[in-house]
Amino acid sequence: MNLICLVKFVPDVEDFKYDVTRNVLIRENVKMILNPDDACALAFCLKVKEKDPDTFVEIVSMAPTSVVGHLEDLLRRNFDQATLISDRMFVGSDTYVTSRILARYLEGKTFDCILTGTHSLDGDTSHVPSQVGEALHLHQMSNIVKIEETQFKTGWPVVDVDSERFISSYRVGLPAILSVSKESKYKLPFVKFKNLELDVSAKIKIITNRELGFRADEVGLEGSLTQVAHTFTKNLQKEDRIFVKTDEEGIDTVYDFLEAKGFI
Amino acid sequence: MKKSLIYLDAENIRNSIDLLEVAELVHGKGEVETYALCIHQCPKEAYGKFDVIINVQDDSIQTYDVLNITNCLEEMHRNYTFDSILIPATHIGRMLAPRLSMRLHVGLVADVTAIDHIDGILEMVRPAYSGKIMAGIVNRGRVPIMMSVRQNIFAYTSDQVKKTLSINVYPTSVQASNISLLEVKVKEKTKDIRESTVLISGGGGVMDQFHRLDELAVELNAQVSASRRIVDSGIATRKIQVGQSGNTVSPKLYIALGIYGSLQHIEGLKNVENIISVNIDKDAPICSLSDIVVEGDAVEFIEKLVEKIRREKV
Repeated sequence: MNLICLVKFVPDVEDFKYDVTRNVLIRENVKMILNPDDACALAFCLKVKEKDPDTFVEIVSMAPTSVVGHLEDLLRRNFDQATLISDRMFVGSDTYVTSRILARYLEGKTFDCILTGTHSLDGDTSHVPSQVGEALHLHQMSNIVKIEETQFKTGWPVVDVDSERFISSYRVGLPAILSVSKESKYKLPFVKFKNLELDVSAKIKIITNRELGFRADEVGLEGSLTQVAHTFTKNLQKEDRIFVKTDEEGIDTVYDFLEAKGFI
Repeated sequence: MKKSLIYLDAENIRNSIDLLEVAELVHGKGEVETYALCIHQCPKEAYGKFDVIINVQDDSIQTYDVLNITNCLEEMHRNYTFDSILIPATHIGRMLAPRLSMRLHVGLVADVTAIDHIDGILEMVRPAYSGKIMAGIVNRGRVPIMMSVRQNIFAYTSDQVKKTLSINVYPTSVQASNISLLEVKVKEKTKDIRESTVLISGGGGVMDQFHRLDELAVELNAQVSASRRIVDSGIATRKIQVGQSGNTVSPKLYIALGIYGSLQHIEGLKNVENIISVNIDKDAPICSLSDIVVEGDAVEFIEKLVEKIRREKV
């Protein structure tokens, strides 16, 4: 089987510090990590490859070239190829543009299935998997917690999907985009000791806009259809606090609040 | 008059209807004609609230078939030319919105929690970086304006009863689907407080009556958690302790009963959407983080609220 796994490296949000005096979040010099949901998608690909060594797994990531070290680290765990889509022109792309860039690369590929994570720690819009699905005319499913491996090979896998209150099982015809959640508990193995220094540089391919051929006004900030106007930190203290007592009026207020928010 | 289309998702009908509030915030009250689109039969609650209800009549379209629902929405947009399309950020909605925005080549803002107009420009506000910052996002000129809206944030409270026009449509764009639903299971309730959506938490103020928290927990389908004082006194195990030395929790609702809210306790509350605190001291630190502060005895609060919930159920 040919599998493609889309991954993203994100700032470790737990590493963010507050500058209390300026009330801003310090985002500089924060270490980058593999997005946790994406790590599960990769781990699933390795499981398939373990059972069926003919499986070819290509990792695709759009990022600055500074992530090459991270990609090498992944390649040392038995992935076949890593493709880094990287161009200065792409900096500042929103999800719409990012999806178009990824889709243009993927259009020319043959694959049985594309795997991705569902959520990302940074933006957490979950747009890209669905938008790539649309661009490639493929079904896409988010929040997958289990993919039945034996049927996976037949091209009609059953997937379990977690939609908060329910777990639903779907049968999905491949090719499709399956987006895994970290609740799946698929776990990426460590690099084997003997492979720690393995030279994998030949397995990394860098794709720039020269290969993809976008006009400058189609990508980056200029091509984006949405733009962050400003960011601010949430004030911890709630502004519109309601003060009540334990009398009937107070209990009614609490009840109405719970009902309006869907807790009752 | 602007036209706004709202997708009614069977997964959360009531909150889909609440998106009417968002339509009014975006376009202005009385300046927007509201359309609802539902697959198969529209729920009764929507009648009288929307100007137009579009019932998609095609039994082959399943409510989880995002591709075909996208086809329907696109077809309707070609017919009506909407100024905005609002989609609830449910499991399906979060797959539907990006697909449709790609199809229509318009920008999309995800999980909107607030609407602002700054210098006459619409800003859609959403959390980013696991809720650590908020971002105001603008759409760069293309219509329709599209967003997915975080569930249970907006509430539509208007009493106005509209004369709803109900239309049955027979879409022409349905395609064969290669996805089918086999089985739906209700998720087992987890015992881990970190995975609980609702937490009923007790502190020093309910020391002698900690077991009474269960009564409220049952009614709200919640789990019980505790502050360090309760755990240190041996009344509860460390497994259910919230705070720096216990667990970090992110429930959607945290009811703090007799909890003071020391810094180490607050450290354990991350991205909690709603807090209700009950305390005899309305100036306790936990109260400054709360949506509702109930001044009074926590056990009395439990008794009265449980009674009210049971009464309303009948």
